Formats: sequence, C-alpha cells, structure tokens
Amino acid sequence: MFRRTTSLLTLVLPALALTAGTLAGLSSQALAAEYVVTMKDAAYSPAAITATLGDTVRFVNDDGETHNVFVPTLGHALDLGKQEAGAEKTLVLRTPGQFEVECVHHLSMTMTITVKP
Amino acid sequence: MKTTTLGGLGAAAIAGLLLAGDVSAGPERVTYPANFETGYTLYNQVDRLDRKRVRSFYVNREADAAAKSDAPLPDGTVLVMADRNAKLDAGGNPVFGADGRLVATGPVTNIFVMEKRAGWGESIPAELRNGDWDYAWFTPDGSLKPDAKYKGCFTCHMSRVERDYTFTYVKRLMDAGR
Ligand code: HEC
Ligand SMILES: [Cu+2]
Repeated sequence: MFRRTTSLLTLVLPALALTAGTLAGLSSQALAAEYVVTMKDAAYSPAAITATLGDTVRFVNDDGETHNVFVPTLGHALDLGKQEAGAEKTLVLRTPGQFEVECVHHLSMTMTITVKP
Repeated sequence: MKTTTLGGLGAAAIAGLLLAGDVSAGPERVTYPANFETGYTLYNQVDRLDRKRVRSFYVNREADAAAKSDAPLPDGTVLVMADRNAKLDAGGNPVFGADGRLVATGPVTNIFVMEKRAGWGESIPAELRNGDWDYAWFTPDGSLKPDAKYKGCFTCHMSRVERDYTFTYVKRLMDAGR
C-alpha cells in the first residue's frame, strides 16, 4: 500500500526518486527501498535479496581488491563495470523476476536477486 | 613448427608476438562472421549500464545445435558480441523500454569474436591459453581493430575456465537445462 503510493510518486515526479534513495535508510516503509550489498572477502553479502520493482541495490566494495556486478540471466543480463576497492555502484531494479549476480573476476562470487512486481 | 620455436621464449615475448599479429596465433586466424545478424542465433543481451551500451550475443547454428553445458563446446564454435549504443534522452540518460531494459539504437559499433578450433591453443603460451580459443576485435567494416590488445581477452576470460572460458554462452546453456 505505502509502496504503491511511493512508486506512483516516483513515476510522476522523477526528481523525488533521488530523495527516495537518500531517505531510504531512514524510512524503509514509506519510500522505495534501498538494499546494500557488500563484497568483503570476495563474497556478496547478503547472498540473496527479495525486493520490489523500483527498489535500488547499492553494491559497496568494502574489500581490498577489484570486484564487479555482472548478471548473466536472460532477460536481466547486465554489467555495471569494474568496481575498485572502496567504489560503490547502484542498480535500480526495473525488471521483475529472479536473476543471478556474478563477479567477472571471481566465479565463486555469486548472489541471487528476486524482484517482485 | 611455431610451438617449438616459441618454447624457449618468455611469456612476455610471446605475448608480444601475439600482439604484433603473428598469423599462426592471433586475431588474423579468426574469421570475420559477416552474416552473424542473419545467420547466427541470438542468445542473450547484456545492458552495459556503465557505458550506456547494449551488447548482443550470437552463436553459430551448427555449434549451438550440438552444444551442451556439461561438455566442452564443439570444435568450430564461434561466439559473437556486437555492441550498439543505448538510446538516450535529451539529458544524456538512458531510456528504458517497457521491459526495464536498455534500447539499442544506431548501427553496430564493435564486434568481438571468440572462435574455437582444434589445435589453436597449442601456439598460445600456457599461462594465457584458453583451451583452443582465439580472440578477435573487429570494426563494423569487418577489419581488425588496429590498436586492439589481446592479452586481456585471455586473462579475463580465464576466470570462466569451468564454463569453457565463456561468460554468457555456457551459462545460458546451463540456465536452459541443456
Ligand atoms: C575485464 C574482463 C574482460 C576482458 C579484458 C575481455 N572480456 Fe570478453 N567478456 C567479458 C565479459 C564480462 C563478458 C560478458 C559481457 C559483459 O559483461 O560485458 C564478455 C563476453 C565476451 C564475448 C561473448 C562470449 C562470452 O564469453 O560471453 C566475446 C566474444 C568476448 N567477450 C570477446 C572478447 C575479446 C575479443 C576480448 C579482447 C579484445 C575480450 N573479450 C576481453 C569480460 C572480458
Ligand atoms: Cu570479485
């Protein structure tokens, strides 16, 4: 219910999307949610997320080496490019379904994201 | 034979040969897949959100018909990655389709190819060798990109040794239960 209202606002007023991202940590209920995924010791944490269309995932490389966000799943496939130690990248969840995330450099580094419509 | 001549050289020297365009090992022996858009099977699309680019992935049909995820890819497999620009709005931000995906626009800008032929790997230094694959980077007119570097192709694709050195294709077979 709250979420639906927020998504509508985000659609109508794109400028609000920014605000939504900034405030997400403070008020997870009233605004599109932001999930944080870390990369320490070459592992995505958490290893699985269930989110809603329009939510955001912020990937934080808190490890000492370069990692990456690469999605091979058909219909969801994307690549956010090289992510050096300390760097952050944001992904807006625009397609419902389930997909896998892999690191280009480390095949053992994987996670799953489920996006509810 | 080339392999014996190269035996005594260091990896750097051999990589140098590769980069210099030695015909026996390097991009010149990879055939430009002129008909990939009509004659090959499109099997995936990757949105390069960082570069505002859309990458389309093709495989030659004979190889695709025989390919299985739990076996090495067939001799003669050709994988093509073709780049196009993503459609942008007036502010330079990507426009997303109703499916939430980037929208490709304009002509193909770059064509990356990996081709597998029995014996090809023998002329590649052991620490770079990707099975029997070789790599090439073409411009849209079908010529090799003049300033392309090839060592990185081998080192980066090495992380997918368990998937026959591919990032997208064998994973696609796995996901399709093939
Ligand atoms: C930094 C790592 C890296 C380097 C260097 C690299 N690739 Fe790739 N390659 C990838 C990734 C990752 C993909 C999947 C598409 C994407 O995420 O952009 C890919 C996909 C491909 C594909 C499609 C088949 C497959 O494996 O999925 C071809 C063909 C290809 N690359 C050729 C090349 C060539 C030719 C070069 C050198 C000129 C090269 N690559 C250099 C990482 C790399
Ligand atoms: Cu990694």
